[in-house]
Amino acid sequence: MPAPEAARFALVITGAPYTSQAPQTALQFARAAVAQGHTIDRVFLYGDGVHLASTLTCPPSDEADWPAQWQSFLKTHAVPATCCIASALRRGLLDEGEARRYEKPAANVAAPFVVAGLGDWLEATSQADRTLYFNGSH
Amino acid sequence: MERRYLFIIDRAPYGDWSGRETLDMALSAAAFDQPVSLAFSGQGVHWLRAEQAPQGIEQKTGSRNLAAASLFGIEALYVPKAAFDRLGTAFDSGLEITPVASMTELAHQFSDVVRL
Repeated sequence: MPAPEAARFALVITGAPYTSQAPQTALQFARAAVAQGHTIDRVFLYGDGVHLASTLTCPPSDEADWPAQWQSFLKTHAVPATCCIASALRRGLLDEGEARRYEKPAANVAAPFVVAGLGDWLEATSQADRTLYFNGSH
Repeated sequence: MERRYLFIIDRAPYGDWSGRETLDMALSAAAFDQPVSLAFSGQGVHWLRAEQAPQGIEQKTGSRNLAAASLFGIEALYVPKAAFDRLGTAFDSGLEITPVASMTELAHQFSDVVRL
């Protein structure tokens, strides 16, 4: 099944930055797709991929800052991005609302990521021409 | 375009969280009335074993979630025929498991194949 000339993609990232290559590979795909006139409908972080949304990542200054590069890409191209709530809570990624709900001392989900459920993934994958999954192990 | 989802679990039930999170995705899609099937391959076939007792490692059994699959509308549980022939008698008899000769040919029947 060939993708249409101007395709709509949904991207699911399940590999964490600095543990896997998944966020980098996904970002390079996203940049290339947008450069060729395609659209990224939504980025969905799932499983270990939610670590990409952390505001607290501090890579050494001579290494690429993948979370910052992703945030910049999402803002520049107005791409909606979701951090799966079930994956995020397990792994200590909380927005302001969840931090209050669970009485935790801080929130650490970076804008423009929003914390929401698998419904966002299903809506995106239903509407996109293709959904690509980027994980760390295959 | 009608979507048909195949979720492939190819890792052992308790070594990491990917199988559990794959199952969550599959159950969510099925709950929204999407056509969904599950396939188990490699070490993932152990998800289908009867009498799992992960309490000793402080985990919840995956069997209970899998038993709910048909209630959520998941259409089929596939397993490679070779694994079925080797381990079929150890599988949970409460699950309706379909052996397949070729996972590749199976995957071709679906618009969306998800392997986390």
